[in-house]
Amino acid sequence: MKRYFAVLLGVLTAIGGFVDIGDLVTNAQVGARFGTSLVWVVVFGVVGICVFAEMSGRIAAVSRRATFDLVRERLGPRIGFLNLVGSMLVTLLTFIAEIGGVALALQLVSSVHHVLLVPFVAAAVWIVLWRARFSSIENVLGLMGLTLIGFAVALWQLGPDWSELAAGLAPAEKPAAESWATYAFFGVALFGAAMTPYEVFFFSSGGVEEHWSDKDIGVMRANVLIGFPLGGILSVAIAACAATVYLPEGIAVETLGQVGLPVAVGLGKIGLAVVVLGFFAATFGAACETGLSTGYSLAQYFGFQWGKFVRPKEAAGFHIILLLATVLAAGVLLTGVDPIMVTEISVVFSAVALPLTYFPILVVANDPDYLGEHVNGPVANALGVFYLVVITIAALAAIPLMVATSMGQG
Amino acid sequence: MTGTRAQRDGYDVGLHLLDRQIIGADDRLVAKVDDVELTLDDDGALVPTALLVGLPALLPRFGPRLGSGLARAHRLVREAAADQAQPLIIDLDLVAEVTSDVRLTRPAHGLLRRMDQRRAEDPRRCRVGDLLGLPVRCAALPRRSKVLDLRMVGAPGSAGPHRVTALIVGPGRPGALFGYDRRSEPGPAVVGSVARWLHRHARVVDLDEAVRIDREVGEVGEVYVGADASLHPLRG
Repeated sequence: MKRYFAVLLGVLTAIGGFVDIGDLVTNAQVGARFGTSLVWVVVFGVVGICVFAEMSGRIAAVSRRATFDLVRERLGPRIGFLNLVGSMLVTLLTFIAEIGGVALALQLVSSVHHVLLVPFVAAAVWIVLWRARFSSIENVLGLMGLTLIGFAVALWQLGPDWSELAAGLAPAEKPAAESWATYAFFGVALFGAAMTPYEVFFFSSGGVEEHWSDKDIGVMRANVLIGFPLGGILSVAIAACAATVYLPEGIAVETLGQVGLPVAVGLGKIGLAVVVLGFFAATFGAACETGLSTGYSLAQYFGFQWGKFVRPKEAAGFHIILLLATVLAAGVLLTGVDPIMVTEISVVFSAVALPLTYFPILVVANDPDYLGEHVNGPVANALGVFYLVVITIAALAAIPLMVATSMGQG
Repeated sequence: MTGTRAQRDGYDVGLHLLDRQIIGADDRLVAKVDDVELTLDDDGALVPTALLVGLPALLPRFGPRLGSGLARAHRLVREAAADQAQPLIIDLDLVAEVTSDVRLTRPAHGLLRRMDQRRAEDPRRCRVGDLLGLPVRCAALPRRSKVLDLRMVGAPGSAGPHRVTALIVGPGRPGALFGYDRRSEPGPAVVGSVARWLHRHARVVDLDEAVRIDREVGEVGEVYVGADASLHPLRG
């Protein structure tokens, strides 16, 4: 019974924890501009993150090695450092965006300007990172994030022409006004948002935090293979809501309020309130995950004590990094930079940082020294190699596309 | 896992020991294996003697130019400290077991000691990081060949001889083999065959009289492999 409960709780938190500010914003923007013609990228990205999260979770369960340990062990200090710099930049940008996202969600409720809320949000995030237990952070915020299901309900209530939505799924149904370059740019952004590297840093380090062993592989697999795809359905629902409400009117999504507005249209005030609670939980949860991930990757590169499974004073360096990262994030947001823009940049750069993170996972997942009998099967390997090729192409294409389309404006 | 494998057929320092997590007997994370100290003993064998830890051990491994520049910069940060340039050491006797991490027999608290000046200047001691990437001069190998890894017999924490028995040499970059030369059932077939194809000229050279490691030649030194050295293909 306890095991079924663990699976259920894990799946539910994986659904709620899957969506972050990057998914919220990118999906709504894409839905408003491209209808459902880019949904296939979300599906594709979700399968990809499942493949690599399962591998990294399995490695963490059997050998207790988190992802950045593998990066250093397989790529060596030099290339490993390059990856450290790249993924720290991405993770910090995402951390900034998530804290900004919490402030924006609170602005929707309080009408207080988000810059004024930033110091309080940052302080709250830091206190949670310092004091709260790892499992409480994951479970409470993950379950609260489930309220984003409001998007799926709203979509049903909006009563779109389902056959039209379904027909729009084909890539060829791209609205004629948009060029293929912008289409590709948003495709890469969606892919980057679905596969952000911090997800595997956090997922595998979380496995070590929660003392997974090889007996937990089944539960871990269920969380990934059921929870992530259901989280992906939330992403698609957000895009479809935006497609239904905004695409016919030709309105572009530029604020978090606009992301939630289709729910107000479909379900009224109560629905909007529920979904705004979901915004808060999803962004706050992701802020904790990205904040922890900055500490995880630095500590795992240099080898000093990390984690919330020891008391803060036993992992002092780790907690100092969390504090500095939070102060830095608050500082950047206090300059008045638009958190939505930070989000857009972070998902594109995350596409660039992907290959150097996922390659070592794939190599080690085949190493019997680490995994014994639990090494990759042929299916995981075929998918892993296929996604590695796609990830590399996306990484190479991301910056040129960003320049060519002026970040999707063109 | 690696412990038993290492005892059975030895291990490669770069692949199986460098950059691994060091964990104390109290389960605390100590550091990474930033480098490994080797000592030339009286029989002429290269024996690993200590794990080196900290930026003075890590930074030189960033490559001959970048690495020495970074190490110099790190020394200048606190020029007044006499031991700023020396790494911290963990004697190899303290290693209990090497699996995917390095387990010690002692708790982490207060474990690391700074290397003293005399030990640092001992000409019989060198670092694995200094040997990896050394140019190799050998008639049977391509000209760009380098030392890619050091093969050991024995294992830390176990009885019996423990020393470097062979060098893996060939064109390429140390660490880029990803262990595909050692496994009988290598990972994704595509990645394995690419790694092996890139290293098709690489060979294992037994460390005997025909091989001479000279640290004084050129900028970084070189490894001279004589005509009568025994070269083996990577696997088998």
